[in-house]
Amino acid sequence: MAEIEFPFPFPEHLDLIMPEMILASMGLVVLMMSVFISKGRQQVVAWTSIATCIAVAYSVMSVSGQDVTMTFYGYFELDAFATYAKLLMLLATVLAMFLSLNYIKDVENVGEYYTLMLFSLLGMMLMVSATNFVIMYLGLELMALCIYVLVAYQRDVIRSTEAALKYFILGALSSCMLLYGISFLYGSTGSFMYVEMGEVIAASGDDARLAVLTGMLFVLAGLAFKVSVAPFHMWTPDAYEGAPTPVTAFMSVVPKVAGLIVFIRILVDVLPGLQEEYTTLLIFLAVLSMAVGNIAAIAQRNIKRMLAYSTIGHIGFILLGMIAGTSAGYSGILIYMTIYLFMTMGVFGIIIMMRRDDIQGELLDDFAGLAKVRPGYALAMGLLMFSMAGIPFLGGFWAKYVVFIAVIEQGHIILATLGVLFSAIGAFYYIRIIKYMYFDEERVAFNFGKGLPLQFTVVASTLIIVAVGLYPEPVMEICRTAVIGLL
Amino acid sequence: MDLHNVLDFPILSLAIFLPTFGALVIWLFIKDEHAIRWAALATSVATFLVTLPLIFNFDTSTSHMQFEEFHEWIPAFNINYQLGVDGISMPFILLTSLLIIICIVSAWKCIQTRIKEYMISFLILETTLIGVFSAMDAMLFYFFWEALLIPMYLMIGIWGGKNRVYATLKFFLYTLVGSVLMLIALLAMYFEAGETFSMLAFMDYPFNFQWQFWIFLAFFIAFAVKVPMWPVHTWLPDAHTEAPTAGSVILAGVLLKMGAYGYLRFSLPMLPDASQYFAPMMIGLSLVAIVYISLVAMMQRDMKRLIAYSSIAHMGFVTLGTFVFTVQGLEGAVINMISHGFVAAALFLCVGVMYDRLHTREISDYGGVVNVMPVFAAIMLFFSMANVALPGTSAFIGEIMVLLGTFAADVDTLPVSAKWIAIAATISVVLSACYTLWMYKRVVMGDLVKDTVRSMGDVSKREFMMFVPLILLTLWVGFYPVPVLDVLHATIENLVEQSTTSKLDAAAALLLEHAPAVHAGTH
Repeated sequence: MAEIEFPFPFPEHLDLIMPEMILASMGLVVLMMSVFISKGRQQVVAWTSIATCIAVAYSVMSVSGQDVTMTFYGYFELDAFATYAKLLMLLATVLAMFLSLNYIKDVENVGEYYTLMLFSLLGMMLMVSATNFVIMYLGLELMALCIYVLVAYQRDVIRSTEAALKYFILGALSSCMLLYGISFLYGSTGSFMYVEMGEVIAASGDDARLAVLTGMLFVLAGLAFKVSVAPFHMWTPDAYEGAPTPVTAFMSVVPKVAGLIVFIRILVDVLPGLQEEYTTLLIFLAVLSMAVGNIAAIAQRNIKRMLAYSTIGHIGFILLGMIAGTSAGYSGILIYMTIYLFMTMGVFGIIIMMRRDDIQGELLDDFAGLAKVRPGYALAMGLLMFSMAGIPFLGGFWAKYVVFIAVIEQGHIILATLGVLFSAIGAFYYIRIIKYMYFDEERVAFNFGKGLPLQFTVVASTLIIVAVGLYPEPVMEICRTAVIGLL
Repeated sequence: MDLHNVLDFPILSLAIFLPTFGALVIWLFIKDEHAIRWAALATSVATFLVTLPLIFNFDTSTSHMQFEEFHEWIPAFNINYQLGVDGISMPFILLTSLLIIICIVSAWKCIQTRIKEYMISFLILETTLIGVFSAMDAMLFYFFWEALLIPMYLMIGIWGGKNRVYATLKFFLYTLVGSVLMLIALLAMYFEAGETFSMLAFMDYPFNFQWQFWIFLAFFIAFAVKVPMWPVHTWLPDAHTEAPTAGSVILAGVLLKMGAYGYLRFSLPMLPDASQYFAPMMIGLSLVAIVYISLVAMMQRDMKRLIAYSSIAHMGFVTLGTFVFTVQGLEGAVINMISHGFVAAALFLCVGVMYDRLHTREISDYGGVVNVMPVFAAIMLFFSMANVALPGTSAFIGEIMVLLGTFAADVDTLPVSAKWIAIAATISVVLSACYTLWMYKRVVMGDLVKDTVRSMGDVSKREFMMFVPLILLTLWVGFYPVPVLDVLHATIENLVEQSTTSKLDAAAALLLEHAPAVHAGTH
């Protein structure tokens, strides 16, 4: 029997991609399980998915930290940066699945829901490990397609369908912009590999400048769409509002982490020669995002829409870390995302608890008088809101602190001043929730959602936010080591 | 690191965290409402007792920080848990721990809803206040400074009056906008002064004039909102009016001092040249507060609003004394703050006593209270006189020292002689007599014409007890201020030295030191 001949030598260090392989195969297993397991016992599917994520996290930790970080001829990289991002995304996915347990129940095809989550996670894990535009784009599309479907998951709810359609059309448009930009960059450099492209761009003269700048503009715009940076944020409020709440929680953290990691990699590897140009662009985007996010949130009556604008605002603050362009800035982004993850999961957990049979519990008014009926959860929500507003002794304060100190180190004091002023404006709508909970009288009877995983998510997130607020050093240390070697 | 702590015991940490510990115990273990009140009282008394050794072991001969503590907190940013007090901050810690006891006693009967949350808020507030006055690391200071907004926001919002939501949002946003600018200033100073947040290092580092200029403005906004100075004072009357009695007491008694403390701790020693440069503006704003706000106070119909405006006017004296850079002026400013802590707190308590009986704060709803509440009338008369700065009360010592300090001041940047400023400030003594005594006349004196007033009973034993320490302290500082002045003297002399020694020469020298290196690099 003739040996199979590979056109290339067999790729070495395939163990680095082990977590993705486990995830892909388990995604298929979960899909098949849902077909064969009877309808009453579909929770098994959910728990299998959660176990998968934990196993994948374990395998990420066990294969990372080696001397070799590249595999597939340098197309796939598992460095400390990607490892941390993957663990963050896995954690967020597990928490989002905890939130889903009670919410996505009694509907057909529960299995599909979890399969889609797993596959979108797979896409994002590829994105953060990609060292070239092709793999990155494949991962991005896998993620996006799964999330479009997840948003439309309650297909008999008009709001959900409408949101998915809007998200799909704008998402497709942004993918086109991204591809268009990539084609410009490819045309000017003759490569898809980040680092090679970066070297060519840095060495290129003025005659290639226009094409490269055009490419950069479109690539950054496409990515800005995905992480909902103003002025490319239009889809965010609709998609957030229409999606099932656990999906909203999922998509407000995990794709943002993946998108930001790709964003950082492209800035660091592909565009180091254009730092001056992209910094100007990022300053514009950051100020606009902080302004739009924090000001438009004030006018919202629905808490999910409000949180959508709040995400836009937070992304604006996160962009400050990129403007700094130093390892302090990039580790600041990781710290910010870590703290943001817990705040978001905790808040969405409480929103899910507020759902009653007939009321969604999504209007700000629905929170009126919560403190009298459920003082514990009102306290948790209050702490999370103060944290989002960036008030110390809570984690959110340090999240803002690390990005502000990073831009100030680079001398952008006016930008930082604008940032803190917008954050002070933003504090208004966060503490308004506290006003509803503590100062107003109860309007409708509460019938609080139960479920141990849900309660665990809320309580654990709140405790972590308080703990990080009081002693942020461990998180800061981990994030600092994660960006060593990035620059 | 050489720590200056005669007690060899982390007494400041204990004072900071004992209230939080008490709050946690109340939160987790105590259900019965009566037990909650007693537990809160016990915690606050214990905290007061813990702070007492600060006076008895205080070394009045040095301006050095005392009772110091130092632990690493966030080494990545060189943020440390660094505590210490000097003559300026020590009295405020005592004032805080004393007033918190009085606040808890005053809320004994009148707060009936959510008593648990109320007591917890107060104890957490105590932690943040003592933290602000003992922090020696700028980020730690900022940490407590901002964290304080949380309990205060809840306190006004939950237990406040009719218009409480508006008042508390206004309070929160005003102070937040002010203090985020301070954060930016602190972060900028961190890099300029060589990656440290130590307040002592900031005092030593020679910032050049441009740095001082901008940092002063950022601090000015943060502290001016807290003091509050005209024209950013408008949150105070609303917050005072709507806050529950104890909230007003702690607001007037301690919170307002944080702004003035900020000037003494940050602006003057760290930015001496900018302080001199901006002195005319600061003195001008102080005069506006003293004269204009006194006139506004006269026209108020609500007693709490009137006392709130009177607080702004008195704080004008404090900022005036601060920015004349004389030992007398600064000592007067601090004594004025302490005295105002007793007097304004007591006046708010007086209004609270009447409010508990008739549930109105309108001056016109009262009249002839003396006929039914003679003891109360005497107490209120005493504190009204103290508010007017009658000799023999603590306020007199404070105001006379500020005025003398202003007369003697020699500030180069002033367009007019300091004498004229002192004369203008003296007008307020007349004005404060007008509004305080006129209010007293309308509320307490006269015949009983209103049936509602007829039903008021005199102060209870509990209510009387909360006035006693304030009366004694007001008289003590009024007649024999020497012990307080002793505590202040060394620190204030050092502060005057710091604030009148220009940093610009050192800054220029530092620039020259770096310049040859840059020059060599270009070749």
